[in-house]
This record gives sequence, C-alpha cells and structure tokens, in this order.
Amino acid sequence: MSENLSKLPINVNALITGINPAGDRKIKQRLRDMGVVKGGEIFIAKIAPLGDPIEVILKNYSLTLRKKEAELISVQIIKDE
Amino acid sequence: MNKQIRAAFIGNPNCGKSTLINAMAGSRLNVGNWPGVTVEKKEASLKFNNQILKLIDLPGVYSLSPYSQEEIIARDFLIGKNCDVIVNVVDSTNIERSLYLTIQLLELQIPTILVFNIYDEAKAKGIAIDLGLVENLLDVKAINTTATKQRDFGDILELITNSKNHKKPKDISYGQDIDETLKIIEQKYQKELTQSSDIPRKWLKLKIIEGNNEFTNSLHLKNIDISKEISHLKDFHDNDIESFLTEERYAVASGVSKKIITIDKRSVSRNITQNIDKVILNKFLAIPIFLLVMWIMFKLTFDIAAPFIDFTDYLFSNPLSNWMSYLLHSIKAPEWFISLIIEGIIGGVGFVLVFIPVIFAMMFFITFLESSGYMARAAFITDRLMRSIGLHGKSFVPLLIGFGCNVPAIYATRTLESNKDRIATCLVIPFMSCGARLPVYVLFASAFFYNNAATVIWLLYVLGIVIAGLVAVILQKSIFKQEAPLFIMELPPYRLPTLKNLSIHTWEKGKHFLIKAGTYIFAVSILVWFLLNLPWGVEDKKDSYLGKTGQIIAPIFEPIGFGNWEAASSLITGIVAKEIIIGTMGAVYIDEIDANKKEQDLDIATDLKEIGFAFVDATKGAADNILSTFGVSSMTVAIDDNNNSLRSVIRQQFTPLSAFVFMVFTLLYMPCVVTGIAMKQEFGTWKWFAISSLISFSMAWSLSFIIYNITKLWL
Repeated sequence: MSENLSKLPINVNALITGINPAGDRKIKQRLRDMGVVKGGEIFIAKIAPLGDPIEVILKNYSLTLRKKEAELISVQIIKDE
Repeated sequence: MNKQIRAAFIGNPNCGKSTLINAMAGSRLNVGNWPGVTVEKKEASLKFNNQILKLIDLPGVYSLSPYSQEEIIARDFLIGKNCDVIVNVVDSTNIERSLYLTIQLLELQIPTILVFNIYDEAKAKGIAIDLGLVENLLDVKAINTTATKQRDFGDILELITNSKNHKKPKDISYGQDIDETLKIIEQKYQKELTQSSDIPRKWLKLKIIEGNNEFTNSLHLKNIDISKEISHLKDFHDNDIESFLTEERYAVASGVSKKIITIDKRSVSRNITQNIDKVILNKFLAIPIFLLVMWIMFKLTFDIAAPFIDFTDYLFSNPLSNWMSYLLHSIKAPEWFISLIIEGIIGGVGFVLVFIPVIFAMMFFITFLESSGYMARAAFITDRLMRSIGLHGKSFVPLLIGFGCNVPAIYATRTLESNKDRIATCLVIPFMSCGARLPVYVLFASAFFYNNAATVIWLLYVLGIVIAGLVAVILQKSIFKQEAPLFIMELPPYRLPTLKNLSIHTWEKGKHFLIKAGTYIFAVSILVWFLLNLPWGVEDKKDSYLGKTGQIIAPIFEPIGFGNWEAASSLITGIVAKEIIIGTMGAVYIDEIDANKKEQDLDIATDLKEIGFAFVDATKGAADNILSTFGVSSMTVAIDDNNNSLRSVIRQQFTPLSAFVFMVFTLLYMPCVVTGIAMKQEFGTWKWFAISSLISFSMAWSLSFIIYNITKLWL
C-alpha cells in the first residue's frame, strides 16, 4: 500500500516510491539531491516537539523536513517477514 | 614550471572541508566574498616543492544543481575553467551521499582527488575504505585524513602538485538510452558545443538533456528541437529526466560505496549521535534544554563581555583622553581641535571597540553551536513556531541574540541558507529590544513609573516581539510572496569542535567587523561631533547644526507628544546607537554633563596602575559573572546618581504618557547605524537598511500616534 511520508508511523521502515511531480521544482530537486530517490529506504525517527518538522533517516544519515515537504514523497511500508 | 596550480576544494556541508583548508593554509588564508554575493570565499597561496599552489575553498554543497546561491557559485566556478584540479572532500562516515556530489564532479572531466576526511571516526565505527579500488573505479586519486588531528598535509599537497599527470576521471555511463541520446546531441549541437568549448562537454550535453533551460538559454544555444530524440526518454521516465538522472547518479554512488566500504560488524559502536538526540530531541525535554542552552549562551556572552565593555569604556574615557588632552594642551592646540580629537576621534574609536567583546563572545558561541551540530537541532525544535510568522527555524537564534545586541544578530543570520529567509530575519531583528535601549527605558521608567518601572520595561520587550511577528507576517505576504519556503536540511552528527577552529572562525568574524564596520562607525561618530559643535564656537546646543536639525524635524513628533527640539536631537544621535540618546539629552537639557572636563595633572604611572587594576577587575568581573547565578537581568543597569538631575528635567519636559510613547518610539524607530552597516556588509547594498529604516520608522510613528491619541481620549 502506497502512502505519503508524512503519514508514515514513527520508526516504520518504508521504500521510497517517488516524488510527486506536482511539487515545486526547487523543493523536488533539493529532496532528490539529499538522497530521496526511488527505491531507497526511509523511516521517521522523530517528530519535533511542536508536531512539525520531522526527522527521517535515509542513506545512513538524518534529514529534517517539514510535513508539507514530506507529503510530496510517496512511500511503501516494508512488510516484516 | 612556475605556473601556479589551482586546486578547488569542494564537499558537502559538515564534511570538515573548512577545517581541512584552515589546517593546510594556516595563516596564509585570505577570507573574502564571492563577487556580488555574500557567500564567504577563502583562498590561500602556498609553495610546495618549488611549485606555487593556489587553494580555493568553494561553498559547501550537496549537489551542483543550480537551486541555491552556493550551488550556483560552485557550479559556475568549476565549469569556468578556473581550476586545474578538484579536491573533493568526503565525509568518511557518510560516503554514499557524499559520492553523489563526486559523481556529478566526474562529469566535469577535471582531474580529481578524493580526500576521505574524518577518517578516525569512520574507523571507530568499523568502516574501512579500499582507496585503491576507489582509484580504479573512478580514475581519481584517493587519500584519507583526519583534518582535526593531522599536522602535515604533504601527501595531499603532493597529489595536487602532480595533478597534471593525473588521468581524467572516468566517464561514467548512466545507461544505454542516455548514452545514445548524448551521441545524438553531439551531432545536432556540434557547432554550438565547439563554440562553448570552455564548458565541459559531457556536462553540457547532460544539461541539454535535462532541459535545464535557464542555463542552456544563457549560452545562446539555438533551440534546436530535440524533443523527438528525447521523447522516448521522457515517456520512459515519467516526463522527468532531471529526476531520472539524479536516480542514476545515486545508483552509481550507492554501487561504488557498497564496493569500496567494508564494515566490521563487531566494532560497530553505538551510534553516539542518536543516543544524544534521544535526550536532546526528546519530546518533553527538547524545549527546556533548548531554552537552557540559549540562556547559557546569552548569559555567558553578556556576562563575559560586560566587564570588558566597561573596561574599554573606562580606558578611552579616562586615561587615554586625559593623556591626549594633556599632550594637546601642552602644545597649545586650539580648544576645538582638542575637542575633536578627544570627543570625536578617541570617542569614536572607543565606541567601535566597545562592541568588540560582545561580537567576539557571541560569534564564538554561534560557531560552537554551528560546528557541534546543535544549531540544526535548534532549527528543528523552533521551526514550527517560526513558520507561523513565515520565518525559518534557523531564524530563531539570531532573533534571540538580537535582545543582546542587534549587530551580532545580523551576522548570525549567515546560518540561514536562503537569501529570502536571511533578509526577512534581518528586517525583523531591529524590533528585538537590544541592550542599548535599556538605559533609555530605565531612565524614563524610573522617572515616571516608579514602582511599576519593571512592568513597563517588560511591556516594551513584549511589544517589540509582537511588532516583530506582525512585520514578519506582512513581509511574507508582500515582498517575499513568491518564494517557496524550504526547510529540508541535514541534522549533522554531533562533533566536538576543536578550539583552534573555533578561534579561527571567531577571529575571522571579529576582524571583519573591526575593519569594515569600524571604519563606518568611526566616520559616523566624527560626523555627529561636527553636528554638535558646528558652526564654530557654538555656545548653545540649540544653535548647533544638530539643534537646528532638531528644530526642523521636531514638528514630526508633535502629534505623538514630544515635539521639542531636545527630544528630536536626541533621537537623531540615537540613530548612531540608542544608548547615545541619553548622552545627548544630558548635553542638550543640562548642557553641562561632560562639558568642561578639568584639565588634570598628568600622572602616567598612576594611570597605568589603574588601567592594570581595571583590567584585572574586568577579568574578575567576567569570571564572577560566570559563576554567579542568574539575577533578574543580564544587563542590569545601575541607576546612577549622575542621572538624577537629568531625571528631574525630564519630569518637567514629559508627561507620563509622552514618556511612555517616547520609550515605544525609541524601541521601534530605527535600526541603529551599526546594525545598518552590518546589513550593508552582509547584503552588499544599503537597500535593506533603507527598507528596514522605513518599516521601523512608519511602525514606530503610527503606533506612537495611536497610543498617544487614544490614551489621551481616556485620560
């Protein structure tokens, strides 16, 4: 089941399935430059005390972004065996 | 043989590039700005094996895509044939993402050296890098280092010196369909490509495929129709080739990093950063810890700086002026000349120097927060709040610093990446009630509001914050409407900055202020002296140019309750720095304060002894302050008795209402000139100082008008 990153439960591994083409070009390229590319693994590590932004871990480093930006990223939860 | 070799250093932010170049260049480092922008540019020339090497530090970037000022600078520099060799600094603990930039650099086909920095930390994590394999896979030179510990960089310098013998980096394929399209473009654009032969060819062709129009247009490439050739690419990759190429580059980066790294699972240490963050970013603890950190920073800065400020002040106003005055009198210099030297010049220099302790101390802590990794967390914690007024998480710390002094606050906005966020933050900073405004509040509040003085002062601080929020929202809805807000940033691992690096950065920033801002401030001080003392031999301050200007503009203040020339003149000099308001009031209302300092006998020995004692006192004071627990306010202003006479004059001249309005006006009316100079330095233009002044003045006047007239109806 595919959904957007902002709705992903905390500490649940997911695969990045794409970035919404409708997003702002600058934001999309920035996301890709930071390693948000199709097929990569990602999970939410923390949510800021005031509810936004979020901290995600991908490619072995931690990235923070606002929920609004996370909405552009579609992900698919990795099922545990 | 003597031709210099130019090496461009490039890497991700937080990869330790600046530590490396600082360590390599030492004192030979020159710090300036890139032309036309305020991004810092560092360069150093040094000699190695009889060869002159020029090291150029490019801004830290994650990518060469032209979406930020830093990226554009780095890109334009690299494609402009400005360097003979690229030194790509890689964070050994974060190889995959770093290699993404490396892969883009290889497209430029310039000899490249990969420096795997922070190697000790990687080793501790059990990461081993096969350097030989890196060299074979990418046709680059590879080397590892730990810039914070290494003392000799001969091996890197050796590689740079020999770079002309290096191979060109490998021409990496992004798949068959891209390769074929590249060939087609080669044929179709042959003439244009040859004309633009300065630009790396492969890179240019990729840009054409990406359809990066702003760039290809700027090269006047004819818009040859290649839509047919790339249509199958587009169909295949959801119409988004830029995205597809990024994925390809990342695929290469991740493939290479998997091959070259071996991780020893046994020594995988606990992830220190994640453990620290469990506490520091904890849902309930994050905000209290943040406030504590800010409080400590603030307290230390102003407590350490305050006694030295007093000391500098003392040094310039007493022994130095006395000596100079003695000297000048002894050579029978004219009175006006003595006054110019002592009040204008020595006073001006002293005024610049008074800022030094605060600037240095504040810059030290900012650098510490920045390079330790906490600054990004502070932005993470406060972003939600800041966003509600259209600012960025990284705006919070500069705004907070503004309560101490607006000037270092302006410099602190450098942590903001986007120019729009920086400007918006700088325009809001002047509403943070700085320490220099406090003496004005103290004087007026103690003259009129007695027991409620503290409440009134507190109210002014709150008012400043409210107006700041209001202005930020208005800016967001007007000047900065089109800009898409962007927060995406790395939370770098915690690292303990070395003292050496901290000192280098603090010194650079302080020096910057001292030289550039100092000149302007000095000039303005002298100008004010002339305004006060011209025409020659003016007796009554009312007839000085300042007094006359005060009389001309006084009617502006009539509708808000203090339309007299004295208040107007004080506000004019207050533009230089708000604390001067009181000094001027003293001079114009009483006309005796400081007027005739008695000629004193010269006793250098005693003076020197006193200077020594004063310095020891200042140091002791700073130490005491650090140890002592926090009082009500960091910058308590002693209500000194000298102001008693001024206070009684003010009681006659103002009503409680006009006094309150005067305080509101002082809070808001203008960023001081020093803040303006800082803005000019940071943005390279006086435009934002002008806009800031305009916003401030109209805010101050209209709010004062409303308060004054509405309250008058009630009274």
